[in-house]
Amino acid sequence: MSSSNVWTRSRARMKLFPELLAQCSGEAAAYGKCVASTTTGKQELTKNMCVKEFEALKSCFQSAAKKGVK
Amino acid sequence: MLPFPRARSGPLLRSVRCLSSRQGGAMNVFDRSMKRKQKQWASSLLDSDKYDYLRDEAGSRVADRVYDVSRTFPLALDVGCGKSHVAEHLSKVEPKCEIPGHCVLADEEFLPFKENTFDLVLSSMSLHWINDLPGALRQIYQVLKPDGVFIGAMVGGETLYELRCSLQLAELEREGGFAPHISPYTAVTDLGNLLGRAGFNMLTVDIDEVQVNYPGMLEVMSDLQGMGESNCAWTRKSLLHRDTILAAAAIYKEMYGNEDGSVPATFQILYMIGWKPHESQAKPAKRGSANVSFANLSKISKLQTVHQKTNEKP
Repeated sequence: MSSSNVWTRSRARMKLFPELLAQCSGEAAAYGKCVASTTTGKQELTKNMCVKEFEALKSCFQSAAKKGVK
Repeated sequence: MLPFPRARSGPLLRSVRCLSSRQGGAMNVFDRSMKRKQKQWASSLLDSDKYDYLRDEAGSRVADRVYDVSRTFPLALDVGCGKSHVAEHLSKVEPKCEIPGHCVLADEEFLPFKENTFDLVLSSMSLHWINDLPGALRQIYQVLKPDGVFIGAMVGGETLYELRCSLQLAELEREGGFAPHISPYTAVTDLGNLLGRAGFNMLTVDIDEVQVNYPGMLEVMSDLQGMGESNCAWTRKSLLHRDTILAAAAIYKEMYGNEDGSVPATFQILYMIGWKPHESQAKPAKRGSANVSFANLSKISKLQTVHQKTNEKP
């Protein structure tokens, strides 16, 4: 059994990512739509243009992660 | 074609390898020692067979093209053979045909073979990590015998454009700028030039698009890592923020996702065939040697029957 180091631990954490993201599909879709709309519109994409949707997605993701750990 | 947002200033949205500008100086785009380490890590994985699907598919199509050529090749070289995907498929067509092989560990940019050695050179899915592609093609040309053929497959063009765009948009929105995460690919139009400059004749270039569906962006990236295809360009960013990963995964699903929730990843595989010149090869006819006129195009069916009759005469 190989020793636990930062790479094995971070890789294990990344494996949980897809399940956690699946629990926040609504927020993810909203954020995706916001960014996608800027590609078709006249305004260019700048930093934090969709920050509200992203914050919602991030908080949903973090609460899913907290639930998962327990 | 997906409209790209235009950044006001900064690098090109899509980095394309500029091949026609440099004459002799070698380009140094990729960290080859890093690529070797990545490939060794990928092959040391316990489940490395899981990631062979793309190479297998490309290998089988290259083997098809080899069989399309109506010649036998006593001696062939497979550049960047990996797990010998092409050789496996070549021996499948003729059952119980053992192709004796010998593995040599070498660098694609420094082929350790004498000139005019091989009848056939193959290369499947390994040319996209070569720094000096014109030089490598010239070396392949040199190790070929006259009237030898080079059949290759490489990823190029719009490969992984979904991943590239999602990461770009996510980085723009989250961090205000972006760095290239997908390595630069050769465009189809450049490939013909490259082969011609290396000296090949009778070129054939075609594209195949392979679309693989994955559950999400993370699976795309981990499969690429398992294939040994992680980025090794010198300009790569060593860090991808978790916010950016989250944002990119959401964008990928929203912009490119299929109805069943999976996301596609496109691999554009460019297939190329080039021959080393030889007197026996057909050459373009001399100017003024035509004996049929374009004006007779409307009578072409009559011309064909006349041709058949003359052929049937004993």
